[in-house]
Amino acid sequence: MRLIVGYQATPSGADGIALGATLARSLQASLDICLVLPRERPVPSKAPVEAGYDDILVDQATDWLTEALTLVPEDVEARTHLLFDESFARGLLDCAEHCDAYMIVVGAAGDGLLGRHSIGTVTSDLLHVAHVPVALAPRGYRHSPPQRIRELTCAIGSRPGAAELVEAATDLSTSAELPLRLLSLVSAEAESIQAPGSNGLAKAEDVLRTVKAELPAGSDVQLQVAEGSGIEKAASSLDWHSGDVLMVGSSRLAQPHRLFLGSVAAKMLRVVPVPMIVVPREAGK
Amino acid sequence: MNERAAVDVESKGLSAGQLGLLASVVLGISTIAPAYALTASLGPTVTEVGVHLPAIFIVGFIPMLLVALGYRELNAAEPDSGTSFTWASKAFGPYVGWMGGWGLIAATIIVLSNLAGVAVDFFYLFLAQVTGNDSLADLTADKPLNIVTCLVFMALSAWLCYRGMQETKRVQYTMLTFQLLVMAWFIVAAFVKVGAGEGAEGISFSLDWFDPFGIPTFSAFTAGLSLSIFMYWGWDVCLTVNEETAGSAKIPGRAALVTVFCIIVLYLLTAVATLLFAGTGDTGNGLQNPDTTDNVFAALAGPVMGPFAILLSLAVLSSSASSLQATFISPARTLLAMGHYQALPTRFASITPRFSTPGFATLVAGGSSAAFYAVMRVVSDNVLTDTIAALGLMICFYYGITAFACVWYFREDLFTSTRNFFFKFLAPLLGGVGMAVVFIQTSIDAWDPEFGSGSSLFGIGMVFLIGVGIIALGLVIMLVVALRKPEFFKGDILRRDTPPLIVED
Repeated sequence: MRLIVGYQATPSGADGIALGATLARSLQASLDICLVLPRERPVPSKAPVEAGYDDILVDQATDWLTEALTLVPEDVEARTHLLFDESFARGLLDCAEHCDAYMIVVGAAGDGLLGRHSIGTVTSDLLHVAHVPVALAPRGYRHSPPQRIRELTCAIGSRPGAAELVEAATDLSTSAELPLRLLSLVSAEAESIQAPGSNGLAKAEDVLRTVKAELPAGSDVQLQVAEGSGIEKAASSLDWHSGDVLMVGSSRLAQPHRLFLGSVAAKMLRVVPVPMIVVPREAGK
Repeated sequence: MNERAAVDVESKGLSAGQLGLLASVVLGISTIAPAYALTASLGPTVTEVGVHLPAIFIVGFIPMLLVALGYRELNAAEPDSGTSFTWASKAFGPYVGWMGGWGLIAATIIVLSNLAGVAVDFFYLFLAQVTGNDSLADLTADKPLNIVTCLVFMALSAWLCYRGMQETKRVQYTMLTFQLLVMAWFIVAAFVKVGAGEGAEGISFSLDWFDPFGIPTFSAFTAGLSLSIFMYWGWDVCLTVNEETAGSAKIPGRAALVTVFCIIVLYLLTAVATLLFAGTGDTGNGLQNPDTTDNVFAALAGPVMGPFAILLSLAVLSSSASSLQATFISPARTLLAMGHYQALPTRFASITPRFSTPGFATLVAGGSSAAFYAVMRVVSDNVLTDTIAALGLMICFYYGITAFACVWYFREDLFTSTRNFFFKFLAPLLGGVGMAVVFIQTSIDAWDPEFGSGSSLFGIGMVFLIGVGIIALGLVIMLVVALRKPEFFKGDILRRDTPPLIVED
C-alpha cells in the first residue's frame, strides 16, 4: 500500500509528513513524498530570462526532498518524487493514479501570513478534484505525532451519501486493525429552526443504529451522538486523543469520484484537533 | 535504516511546453510589445533623427541581428545557462561576467519603471475617455499621484511574479491580436486623415526618409540607433527559445524571420503615418513637442482615431501592463542566478517553498524599480524620455559584453569552418563593435545637459548620469561584494566547464 505525501518545504509540509508516517505505520504502507514544480512556459519578458534558473530550481527542489526524507522516521519506508505540472493538485493526483496510491496526505494549514488558520490553497485545490481519500494534518501536527492511529471516528450525516464513507471507514479500520467509532453531530440551533420540538438526538441515534446494523457482525464499533449549539460546538464538545483520526464524506455538491469539502466538514476542520480524512463520493466504485 | 532511493525526477522536466511556428511568432511579437515600444520611443527618435525615422528603424535592426546570431551560438553551446551573467562569466571570468549581469539587471530595472510609467499615463487617459471627463487625463501630471499609482502597478506585478502567476496562452493571443488590430486601425485612420488634407503642414512623403546617410550628424545617428535597438529589444528571444520549440530545428529561425518582418512592416507604416499626420514640429501634434514626445500615442490617439481613441489607450495599456508583469521575471532570475553562484549574498538565491519562485530577488527587483521611478520622476523633467535614452545605453552595454563574450568563448574554433567564421566571429564581433560605438558616442553626447529631455543635475546631462552612473555604481557594488564574498571572484565557481546542475534523467 502506498501513500502519497504532497510536500512543500513549509511547516504544513512537515505536518503532512508527520501524519503520513503515522498512517504508514498503522497501514503498513510506504510513503511517496512528492514535490510539484510549476511547469515553465516562455513568457514575453522584454529582457532575456536566465535559462540556468531551471537547473537551480530543480537543484533546490531536490534539496527540499532530501530534507523531507530526514523528517521521515527510520522505520517508515519512503521514496521521493519531483514532479512538474501546471498545478500542485493535478501533479499529486496524476502521481496517485500512477502509483495506485491508497490516499493522499497533506498538511492542511495555509503557510501564508493570512492563511495560517485556514485551509491552504493547495489543500483546497486538492479537495476539489481528488478521486482518492485525502488526509489532512492539522496545523502543528509535526510537533508531537503519535506512533500509530489509535481509533477511527467516522462522522455520519443524516443525509444520503454515507454508504461509501462507512465502507471506506470499515475498510480502513479492518486493514489497520483499528476500533471504529460512528459519530453523529447534532446542531441544536439547526434543530430548533428547522423542526422545533423534534427529537434530533433520537433521530441521530436511529441513523447510527441503522448504519451499524448493516456492518458485518462482530465489528468493533461504538456509537456516539454529540450535540451542541452549532456543528463546531458539537464537534469540539468531544474528547479527542492523540492518535485519533476523523473521517468525513465529501460534499453532496461534489461530482461523483471527486472530493469537495462540505460546509459541515470545513467547520469541523477548524475545531477538531486531530487529522481528518476526506472520502470522495462513490469511492471504490 | 530503510532503503532510500535518490530523488526521482520526472523526466519531462520544467519546460515541456512545445512551441510551434505560430506560438513562437506570438511570443516574439508579444515580447517586443510593439504598441508600447512605439509610443515610448517614436518621439525621442524623431527628436534625434527627424524625418529619417524609417531609415533608423531599418538600420537599427542590424546590430540587434548581429548580436542575436551570437546569442544563438552561445545558447546552442550552453543550453543550460543563458544570459549575459553566465555567458560572460564563462568567457571572460567573474568580473566582466558580474558587470554583464549588472548591465542586464539595470536595463531591466529601467524598462520596468518605463513600462509602469507608460501604463500610468494610459491608465488615466483611459479613465478620462471612459468617463468623458478630460481632466482625469491630467492627473498623470500630478507627481505624487503619478508616483503612487506607478508604485501600485509595480507592486501588483511584483506580487504576481512572486506568486508565480503568468498570463495564460489564451490571454496572450487575445491581447496581441487586439494590439495589432488597433495599431492597424490607427495607421489606416492616420493615412485617411492625411489623404483628406488633415495631415501636418509642410511635410510630404519622400524616399529620402529611408536613407540613413541623410541623418545630419553621427551623434544623431548613434542616438537614434540606440533607441531603435530598444525598439527591437526582445527579438532575440525568438532565436533562443529553440530548446522549447517543437518539431524541426528550422522553426526558431523561421519564427524569428516572420516576427521581424511583421515588426519592421508595422514600425515603418507607423513611422510614415505619424510623420505625415503629425509632422516633426515642436508644437501641437508635432512629434517633437516636448509635452507629448515621451508618449506619442497618448497625444495622437484622439486626433487620429476620434471617439475610438479609447481602443488605442486600451491596447497600449494592456501591452505595457502585460510586458511589465512578464519582465519582472528577468531581473528576479538573474539576481537568483548571481546569488546561486555566490556573486551576490546568499539571500538572493532563496526560492520560496510555496510558489517555487525567487522570492527575495523578486522583492529586490520590485523595490529597486519603484525607487528608481520615484527618484527619476522627481529629478527629471521628462522621466519617460530620459529613461528610454538611458535604457538604450544599458542595452548596448550588456549586448556588447555578450557579443564579445561569444567571440571569446568560441575563440578556439572561430576559423574552423565558414559557418563558424560568420556566426561565431564576424557577426558577433561586428555587433559588439556596433554596440560599443553606440554606447561610447551616446555617453559622450549625453554629458551635454541638452541631451534627451534637457534635464540635468550639476550641469551634467541626466541620461549620462543614469547610464554611466549606474555602471559606476555597479563597479562599486561589485568591489564591495568581491571584498566581502570573494569566492565567486576567485573564478572557480562559474567556469567554462561548470557542468549543468541538473540531475540527469
